[in-house]
Amino acid sequence: MSEFAVDIRDLVKDFPSPLRGVKAFRAVDGVSIRIRPGEVYGLIGPNGSGKSTTMKALLGLLAPTAGSCAIFGKDSMKVDSRNDVGFLPENPYFYKHLTGAETLRFYGRLCNIRGKVLETRVSELLDLVDLANARDRRLGGYSKGMLQRIGLAQALVQEPRLLILDEPTAGVDPLGSRQIRDLILKLRDRGITVFLCSHLLEQVQEVCDHVGIIFQGRMVKEGRLDELIAVEDQQEIVLKNASPELIARIQHMVGRTPGTSLVRIGPSRTTLERLFLQETQGGGE
Amino acid sequence: MAERTSNRWLQPRRVAVLAMNTFTQLVRMKVFYFLMVFAFIALASQFFDLPQYNGPEAVGTGELQLLKGWCIGVMKLYSIVFAITATALLLPKDVEDRTLYTILAKPVPRIDYLVGKLAGVLLLILVSLLFMDGIMSLLLEVRTRHVMATQMEFAVSRGWSQEALESLRRDIGAQGLTWSLQGGVLAVFLQSAVVGASSLLLSTFSTSTLFTSVVSFLIYLVGSFQADAAEFYRATTEAGTTSFASLALKLLSLVFPNYQLFNVTDVAIQGQAVGFHAIGSLAGLSLFYVVLYTLLSWIVFSDKEF
Repeated sequence: MSEFAVDIRDLVKDFPSPLRGVKAFRAVDGVSIRIRPGEVYGLIGPNGSGKSTTMKALLGLLAPTAGSCAIFGKDSMKVDSRNDVGFLPENPYFYKHLTGAETLRFYGRLCNIRGKVLETRVSELLDLVDLANARDRRLGGYSKGMLQRIGLAQALVQEPRLLILDEPTAGVDPLGSRQIRDLILKLRDRGITVFLCSHLLEQVQEVCDHVGIIFQGRMVKEGRLDELIAVEDQQEIVLKNASPELIARIQHMVGRTPGTSLVRIGPSRTTLERLFLQETQGGGE
Repeated sequence: MAERTSNRWLQPRRVAVLAMNTFTQLVRMKVFYFLMVFAFIALASQFFDLPQYNGPEAVGTGELQLLKGWCIGVMKLYSIVFAITATALLLPKDVEDRTLYTILAKPVPRIDYLVGKLAGVLLLILVSLLFMDGIMSLLLEVRTRHVMATQMEFAVSRGWSQEALESLRRDIGAQGLTWSLQGGVLAVFLQSAVVGASSLLLSTFSTSTLFTSVVSFLIYLVGSFQADAAEFYRATTEAGTTSFASLALKLLSLVFPNYQLFNVTDVAIQGQAVGFHAIGSLAGLSLFYVVLYTLLSWIVFSDKEF
């Protein structure tokens, strides 16, 4: 058994040009990613940087031009490697003629789950993604956020150890986006490895513990999130109900310490998203 | 937790899941509305009068042939058009909607997906044909009884001999509901299976439903005339006798099935017997082409990137 949930080594993917003499387009150029079980890994990068191509290669939907991809030690090009994977593609459209429950039954049966076990699993997943009320409604009538959540549920139907999410909140409103993020955190707590790609940086920052930055097909930075975003020569102190006198004293102390300077002082700000959630849900964080 | 079985190819349960999903998908696309059209056409055919060229004694059998001709013709048209369009539509639609990604991201071998899709389309055609066959059989049985009674009364009134009456009874009976006619319906299904499989092959490397449909119809036309064309070529040129030309003709007939062989339906409509041997050979030939086209589809599809 491999010690890595995901093991991508020196992945190269070229897309040949249909025109003679025109060089093939290299979408991914020597990317290596290793994700340990239980980690939440975020692959970030601008549109067209090779995120989706990397994921598709990992799922065997694309054959690597060079390099290799493995899931829990199994070659991605083999069907067996998909036993332990759940995948949610970007902007998925499932069979509109099926209801939410039928969709999950369909994917469950494909994974050889049947009978009572399947029915229990379907109900559990519909509860998990908060779609129990819409279980008998056809997917044609689902909103974008509901489709993403049913997509997440189908990805989880066979209780995979690895979840691959391609832009899981693309086109979803902030409320739906928050629900999906909460779900990812819940799954992380259950020990499921999550590999997600997104260009929504704040979202990645909230859920991932490892991050890779891909640009023009190359991995330009990779590591633990808290290490990558830490500004090494700066410290942060957040005060609540601090009086002007206290702030003045702190400023004075800093001023008297050689080699130290005050970078910024002022009221803490919330994010626009938190404000939105607070106003629309009466909650937020 | 899902049972971790080996993901061997062509697992019947998994193929059945995909086939039933395709079947449901097509049913919910309301394709069965066509069956109402069929019922209407079959009923309407009852109200047509035939010109009496062959004398009044032939009118009854002519009516029965007309009914069979209409019904089988509509069955053939429906099954061919449906086999091509449904097969051509389903695969590109799954790719376009990215539903295919979610299916292939599960432990589903690509051959299972292809076979499941084709089986779903064929299941729907089979169910539709059974329904249409049921309506045709019912109408034909009622009509045959009516024709039998009318014609026998006519013959008796003309003072026909017992032998002539028996012959008339046999002739009318042969135009009624027979096993040969059921064999003809089976031939319609077998032909649609071959056409559907050829359409599946095209859809694995084409990205357009329109292209797949048009080329599939062209292949069907080529298959319908290839035997005549080959015969004409052999008869009018010396080339037919050379080994290269002979090989080329054989290759052509291997790639394009000879759809004229499926015209046993015409024999059944004429009221002549279609032997078990003929139907068996047709079933074997159809199976060969369905397997051949499916294997070729798989070869193309297994390396396809999404």
